[in-house]
Amino acid sequence: MNELLIEKKHSVREREHKRFRQQAPPDVLAECERENSSGMRRAALLIKRQCEAESVVIEPGERIVFTRTIPCIPRIYADMDPVCLINNICADWQMALSQGLLGRREAAADARERYKDNPQASEFLDCAIESIDAVLALAARYAQAAEQMGRHDIAQMLRNVPANAPRSFHEALQSLKFMHSALWLAGHYHVGLGRFDQYMWTYLEADLKSGVLTESDAEDLLAEFFISLNKDTDVYYGVQRGDNGQSIMLGGVKRDGSDAVNPLTRMVLRVVRDVGMIDPKINLRINADTDLDLLCLATELTSKGLGFPQYANDDVVIPSLVAHGYDLEDARDYSVAACWEFIIPGKGMEIVNYETMRFPKIVDQAIRNGLAAGDTFDGILNRVKVGIDEAARRYADCYSKRQLPPAPFYSVLMDDCIENGRDLSSGVKYNNVGIHGACSASAADALAAVKKHVFDQHDIDPADLLAALDADYDGFEDIKQKLQNDSPKVGNNDDAADSMLTTLFDYFADACEKLGDHDGKWIMRPGTGSAMFYLYMADEVGATAEGRKKGEYFSANLAPAPNIRVHGPISVLQTYSKIDYKRVCNGGPITMELSDAVFRDQDSVRKVAMLVRTFAQLGCQQLQLNTLNYEKLMDAKAHPERHRDLIVRVWGWSGYFCELAPEYQEHVINRYKYAL
Amino acid sequence: MSEGIIFDIREFCIHDGPGIRTTVFLKGCPLRCKWCHNPEGMSAEPQMINSAGSRRIVGEKYQASEVADRLNSQADILCANEGGVTFSGGEPLMQSRFVKDIIDLLDKKLHIVLDTSGCGTHSDFQMLAARVDMVYFDLKLIDRQAHVKYTGVDNDPILCNLRALSEFEKPFVIRIPLVPTVTDTDENLSAIAKTVRGLPGLVRVDLLPYNKAAGGKYASAGMVFDPGYDESAQLNLNIDCFKKEQVEVRVA
Ligand code: SF4
Repeated sequence: MNELLIEKKHSVREREHKRFRQQAPPDVLAECERENSSGMRRAALLIKRQCEAESVVIEPGERIVFTRTIPCIPRIYADMDPVCLINNICADWQMALSQGLLGRREAAADARERYKDNPQASEFLDCAIESIDAVLALAARYAQAAEQMGRHDIAQMLRNVPANAPRSFHEALQSLKFMHSALWLAGHYHVGLGRFDQYMWTYLEADLKSGVLTESDAEDLLAEFFISLNKDTDVYYGVQRGDNGQSIMLGGVKRDGSDAVNPLTRMVLRVVRDVGMIDPKINLRINADTDLDLLCLATELTSKGLGFPQYANDDVVIPSLVAHGYDLEDARDYSVAACWEFIIPGKGMEIVNYETMRFPKIVDQAIRNGLAAGDTFDGILNRVKVGIDEAARRYADCYSKRQLPPAPFYSVLMDDCIENGRDLSSGVKYNNVGIHGACSASAADALAAVKKHVFDQHDIDPADLLAALDADYDGFEDIKQKLQNDSPKVGNNDDAADSMLTTLFDYFADACEKLGDHDGKWIMRPGTGSAMFYLYMADEVGATAEGRKKGEYFSANLAPAPNIRVHGPISVLQTYSKIDYKRVCNGGPITMELSDAVFRDQDSVRKVAMLVRTFAQLGCQQLQLNTLNYEKLMDAKAHPERHRDLIVRVWGWSGYFCELAPEYQEHVINRYKYAL
Repeated sequence: MSEGIIFDIREFCIHDGPGIRTTVFLKGCPLRCKWCHNPEGMSAEPQMINSAGSRRIVGEKYQASEVADRLNSQADILCANEGGVTFSGGEPLMQSRFVKDIIDLLDKKLHIVLDTSGCGTHSDFQMLAARVDMVYFDLKLIDRQAHVKYTGVDNDPILCNLRALSEFEKPFVIRIPLVPTVTDTDENLSAIAKTVRGLPGLVRVDLLPYNKAAGGKYASAGMVFDPGYDESAQLNLNIDCFKKEQVEVRVA
């Protein structure tokens, strides 16, 4: 990175751009209420007023512009927060870039003519056109200001994009920056960036061929673009700062099944490593035959400790999506939503984290009620099955009643919404609902411990176990010891525990499949992630039969339970290769922490890369590898001022350690204590 | 079938030999190196470790077949990744019979490394060295008195086994723990270089810089860490001693 970029990164880290922030957002709600506007009109008015209220910021030396000055999203419904707006999906950036907003406007005008007798479609298309005009007007103001400042380069670019197709890689980045920022401005969040190396390569390839750009010029532009993605994240909505879903998916295969890795794939990996910030979050699609060189490059990024890349295995994900009703070509085009949920850019209006299957809670109730009723172990398992079925049905019922608020500008950037005269909120090609499958290892461990001690060895009496659970193990130290230290655990490639894990996911998949496809409209997709539920549930569920006391955290995503020692990463991968991923396609990674001591050898990068390849070869689905130094974390907790730039992976995202809430810090530290 | 005491079987020990490896840590060591950072490996018996408020027994009895089964279940993965199994410790020679029995049961395609201090009888050493693909041989001090002072034992049998090893022409790596002012002196390093230079089978010398966290585990094992040297002294990373003797050297 050149000096200018280093300075820019520093300035973004110091949030110097905050000086441009306005005091308050425009008051849009009053206007909406006055006119008693429809939801559609409100959404269009929101983006219009937001674009008008933005003031132009072009900083010296900046080559990709747009800085947010409005501090938050104004309300447009009296009774609903703007953060309920459509989020966590990915636009068809390839289409949007290549057509430009004027191209989209033409398509909308065409459709407006075709649907002129359909009032609903007409209103939608009018609003889509208004929102396009609002964004273009903002771009025009930027162009004009640039001209006045003597920044003819910027002016020239913004006269062309985002209105038209980019004429260069630089323009493509600027166009993307503008449209992407406009979505945030319109109140959408977790705005994904999709298969960046695919849709951007055309532009870069042309520039490299014609000699407009050298590789190093391109890297500088890319670095600036990535730094700019970190700029406004403090005003982006998320559970914690850093949780903003600016995810990129690299590699994989093209829609025709051929290898999609190109020079930009590698360039992104290199540049992100050098930039070293929390955005964008990098994902890499691989398969059993992926080149070790590419994995080594990705591992160098892992060794930086940014918490990415996260890997997805095409060999498993694509067939799984096909089994869930996705066309093969679309399945090959998958990306991820904010964290790990598989979605198809431009074609998915999926609510990927609608609800959470709370495995530990369901299992705990089944164990307590089953023991009290004198059940056999199969009886307890049956209660688990019923509990999962009931929860899935409840979620499905709720989901059927849900209504999404209209999103005319997002619709412009998706496939066929404009063409069909239908807003994104009324559905696109895929409209499925995703349910996390949270804390599975802890729940499976509880079942395995009960089976061993109560039913197989008979060395814990059911009544004693119930009493121990009720007492939070106070006075039942010996029972707790047995359950915790002398029971099979998920993560050791031990079938006694792993079979409980696979049973949970089988029940979960059964429950979702039983719900059917709702007249071809949507299915429920089971997943393996936990998001923040390993924390949320800690106090919600009392003592559990794996020897955990109330308040202690559960296992996160696909990872062994906290506080247990496992043999190591190979066993963990072997354990998780047993899940039938064809039936669980909502995503949720195997999560592993590596101590940074792993990287002290010259060939360690290659060996970690081989571990990643093993993950793919064993047929696992998704992998998140994190590197950190335990002592450094402890020091950061004590002296945050010394470690302002320390980055950690939280769940599906990376954040600055010192900016996390204490409970998240604690959990991260605890995870790293058991690093491999 | 023999049984033995193991204090850990750890996967993905990538610093213990080529490729991805699983390392079996055998409990018990005849040496008492002042800098040892695996104090729980010294005693041959299972022992209680108290760390961070939790107590656990370190050292578990295993049948040779149990260990072999577990390693064999990952043989395909280890082999596909240029790796295999390493026997370390403690000192594997102290349980040579047990280690031999495990090795005899292992999948033949597994690459095996013996990580040893070389301190054991000639016949034990021969028995194991003959069965492995590579030896990681720790050399600490050439001066006999210093060796006794810092490790508690005479280095005569060690050097004798080293010579035996080179007669085998088994590939081996010399590993030197660099301990400030003790093993890292020019004098000691060049003495080691002179001892190993030209030995058939020598792959290279690895210098292992001192790990300041060495003393951390002593208290939890109920032991006292009393190094008897200045831990914070600047390390002498002199690789020229080896270059001069044309010995390939690496800093790990
Ligand atoms: S030889 Fe190794 S295990 Fe034995 S005391 Fe010395 S350092 Fe510790």
